[in-house]
Amino acid sequence: MLQRETWKHFDFLLFGGVIVLSIFGVAMIRSAIAGNETLAGLVTRQVIFVAISFVVIIILAMIDYRYWSSMARLLYVIAILALVGIYIFGTALFGSARWLDTGLILIQPSEIAKIIMIIVLADFFARTRERQRNLRWIISSFLLTFGVVLWILLQPNLSTSIVIFVIWFSMLWVSGLPVKYLWIFAGIGLVLLGVFIGLLFSGVKIPFIEDYQLQRIVNFLFPDPNARHGNTYNVEQALVTIGSGGLFGQGYGSSPQVQLRFLKVRHTDFIFSAMASEFGFVGTILVLALLVFVILRCFRAASLAADPFGALIAYGFGVLLFFQMAVNIGVNLNVIPVTGLTLPFISYGGSSLVSLAIGIGLVESVIIRHKPLEF
Amino acid sequence: MNHIGQNSPLERWRLLMVMGLVVLVVGYYAYKLFDFQVVQGAVYQAQADENRTTRISVPTQRGNIYDRNGFVLARNVASYNVTITPANLPGDPSVGGDASKLTTDLDADVQEVYRKLSALIGVPASAGEINDETVRLFSPCQTDLGIAQIVYIADTNAPYDPMRIACNIDASLAMTIQSHSAELPGVGIEVEAVRDYPTGSLTAAIVGFLGPVPAGQQDYFRAKGFLPNRDKVGYAGIEATMQDVLGGKNGERLVEVDVSGQELRNLSNPVEPVPGNNLVLTIDTRLQNAAQQALIGEIDFWNTYFNEIRSSSGAVIAMNPKTGEILALVSYPTYENNRMARFIPAYYYQQLISDPWKPLFNHAISAEHPPGSVFKMPTAIGALNEGVVTPDQKLNDPGQITVMQRNLNNLPTQPFTYVCWKAEGHGDMDWIHGVANSCDVYFYKIGGGYAPDGVAGLGPWRLVEYARALGYGQKTGIELPGEASGLIPTPDWKRINQGESWLPGDTYIASMGQGYILSTVLQVLVSASILANDGKYMQPTLIREVLDPEGNVVKPFEPKLKWDITKDPVIKVFDENNLETGETKVVQPWVVQLAKEAMRLVVTEGTAKGVWENSKVQNSAGKTGTAEYCDNIARAKDLCRRGNWPTHSWYFGYAPYDDPEIAVVAFVYNGGEGASVAAPIVRSVIESYFELKAIDAAK
Repeated sequence: MLQRETWKHFDFLLFGGVIVLSIFGVAMIRSAIAGNETLAGLVTRQVIFVAISFVVIIILAMIDYRYWSSMARLLYVIAILALVGIYIFGTALFGSARWLDTGLILIQPSEIAKIIMIIVLADFFARTRERQRNLRWIISSFLLTFGVVLWILLQPNLSTSIVIFVIWFSMLWVSGLPVKYLWIFAGIGLVLLGVFIGLLFSGVKIPFIEDYQLQRIVNFLFPDPNARHGNTYNVEQALVTIGSGGLFGQGYGSSPQVQLRFLKVRHTDFIFSAMASEFGFVGTILVLALLVFVILRCFRAASLAADPFGALIAYGFGVLLFFQMAVNIGVNLNVIPVTGLTLPFISYGGSSLVSLAIGIGLVESVIIRHKPLEF
Repeated sequence: MNHIGQNSPLERWRLLMVMGLVVLVVGYYAYKLFDFQVVQGAVYQAQADENRTTRISVPTQRGNIYDRNGFVLARNVASYNVTITPANLPGDPSVGGDASKLTTDLDADVQEVYRKLSALIGVPASAGEINDETVRLFSPCQTDLGIAQIVYIADTNAPYDPMRIACNIDASLAMTIQSHSAELPGVGIEVEAVRDYPTGSLTAAIVGFLGPVPAGQQDYFRAKGFLPNRDKVGYAGIEATMQDVLGGKNGERLVEVDVSGQELRNLSNPVEPVPGNNLVLTIDTRLQNAAQQALIGEIDFWNTYFNEIRSSSGAVIAMNPKTGEILALVSYPTYENNRMARFIPAYYYQQLISDPWKPLFNHAISAEHPPGSVFKMPTAIGALNEGVVTPDQKLNDPGQITVMQRNLNNLPTQPFTYVCWKAEGHGDMDWIHGVANSCDVYFYKIGGGYAPDGVAGLGPWRLVEYARALGYGQKTGIELPGEASGLIPTPDWKRINQGESWLPGDTYIASMGQGYILSTVLQVLVSASILANDGKYMQPTLIREVLDPEGNVVKPFEPKLKWDITKDPVIKVFDENNLETGETKVVQPWVVQLAKEAMRLVVTEGTAKGVWENSKVQNSAGKTGTAEYCDNIARAKDLCRRGNWPTHSWYFGYAPYDDPEIAVVAFVYNGGEGASVAAPIVRSVIESYFELKAIDAAK
């Protein structure tokens, strides 16, 4: 396992990209703290998590990813147990119970669940490769996903649930979902949307959807221009912050919007705005390009993988990265309603960073063990 | 498992489509980013600048008001408020944003500060409950909430702004708190300027009071740099009319603030506030006091004498007829302007506006009353100047005269009787004795005409000209708000407003200041002063000098001549059909001279003889007036009986008669005879004036 030969195919560019993004993230968090004393400790914490993440990547790269295929059922059970465990031992923060207090650190099981679901679904689709692409195949993969998502929905945590469904659907797609089903999915989606809007205006309580989530959608569609706090204010300030960056930015640590704390949740949800303000259009495009580069390297790993399981892991993780990035930046640019998704590698968050590192480690493990055309 | 596809285990086109989606979404974001940052960058930059910059208005000092001798009538005094700046407390005053935990979870250091402060100022450390209702109704200085609750509200709104905890505390208590500042972090003393009127109600009708910027004028005052919720503006009196002179100009600082409102630095050089100018009024507070005492004393005397509240309002004005300087101006009843200094108390204001005698109303300049016999002066000079009678021509007063007149043009004529106030009549009267004795029949004849004596009469049109020349029927332009213009009717006015033709009888009673004629107390004084000052109408004024904050004279006093009836042609000439000829003329100086002699005769031989006989001032002149009236108050009391209407008491006088330096008018509502009620007030004021003059000369 530790042959010198192994490291020949280690994707140093992918690893390098992640390192640059993570370190840049730490720098950005440091700026975004903006003198807030209660947040000052976060920089050190993030540095520790970045260090842990590097170790995690190396360790996971060394472990043969195929090993996880045999562990898939166990991991699936662990994920459900951890999620159910929240209801028994969980700590409620900001209105919903999402955290598990291990005594040392708070763990967000739903973050780990994302990675586990990538492995579980990759395993499922790799095993069912020979099967017919029929409705039974689709429904059984859906039920497999829903077995975990149910507990996340109940937290309630709509955004992570959506992320996992997106991973499921993207895997369904790449595993050869017949195009006719795509139309059926679109039809179901439209009907659900119609029912949702109907419920929205009828005022009936919709299961799994909290009032604050509805409020976010209402705020997105019909913003209150006089709001002095809350989501509308946050998004409005995010736009002002982004716009004030201009072409080359205000400079690191010197955007008044960030440093004078007009921008809210600067170190997590709106760190993109802080970055756009301090580094301007040019700097932001560079970071965006680096993120896209990391995503495309994952897809490259997927296309070079030795087997479908490995390919689906790399591909699924690439989709996860892309979706989280797209949603986070979309919120910052006010093109989609506010959700709690963070910007991969850059936003503050230990669980999030470590689970991303696990994902990168898996992708590295896949690329290391690919069968190149070596004669 | 590696047997599917040589190149990839995944279908290549499906992977490429996902990559295409990535490029599409990122491309769209890059476009949005370019739009926000480069295309609209300047707009957002401006918004960001607006976020972080705040204009802070630095309050200025309002100017003081002094009387002519430098006695302070209005000034600013320090008032001390205790404040807490939440951000400077030694702990979090709003424990996790939960108001219900204020009593249990509050930081011990913060509680210590609250307890110590509570012991000093008496505001409970914790009282009341924080909910939507109490927060909405919260107003600093007027709350029952405890310190913890007030600070909680302040902390959630603007943690870096001092919040008032207790207002208007003792100066010594303020010093005590200042000296304990080391043990009371976050606690401060705010010094607020509050208007103080040392003379209070004595000069309230002149000086007025301040109030918050009215909702309708916020834009106007904001444009002048005032801050509507902080700065006060004049509501009444000189405070209102001289607002622009007294108000000054607020300073301004452009500062950078963070999201919680903490000031970080000045962005440009601060603009220093410009203090308001000081005003020196023409008022002599001592004379004002004498005038007020004389008026109230006389009213109280008669009310006690009749054992009923007969008169409840009145006015006295004293003026230098040669310069127009108002030396005293008393409106009774009045109000206490010091009670409005901090804020206008609702109960007090309600009390004032529901008082039937209108204490907020300036009875000296805003009330319109029939002037009665004091109005005989314009008739008298008109008749002489127009040649209606000669000075020596004698007309007989048998006590009453009867003329034939009709009430409507189509009705047959009827005999109508007009009586003199002296039932037995004055006998044969020449001009000067007609005036001195205020002989009503004499004035009927010269005003309305009397064919049996061959007197044509002045007539209503020409009477109006002489009345207006003496200042009646128009505002004088004194520097006080709410001045009334009075009413001098013409036949046209009656046709338009009453729908009736002018009758000869209307001219009769107009000649003696009754009927439709209305005037303010100030107008009566002005008419007397014009004659006393040989026909020169000096602009009545309350402003002597405008001083800058260092005390230098910015605008010295200059008497302003409005017109001179002996030089300026202010009298329009009418033809025999009462149409304007377009020509104008002056009043002959000898007419004015005779008028002065007549007014002197009033005091030496006429209606006011008894009042002045024993006075120390033996060189005055004047004219009495007893004006019948029938207003809503009299009607409600059923006093309006024909031939026995209630009367207002009037008197104007001036001294010395040959070289006047003071002219005084007194008016007492429902006072009765002018000679017995109003004249003693004027006598008292004129005597006081000369006494004060002697005292000043002795210094």
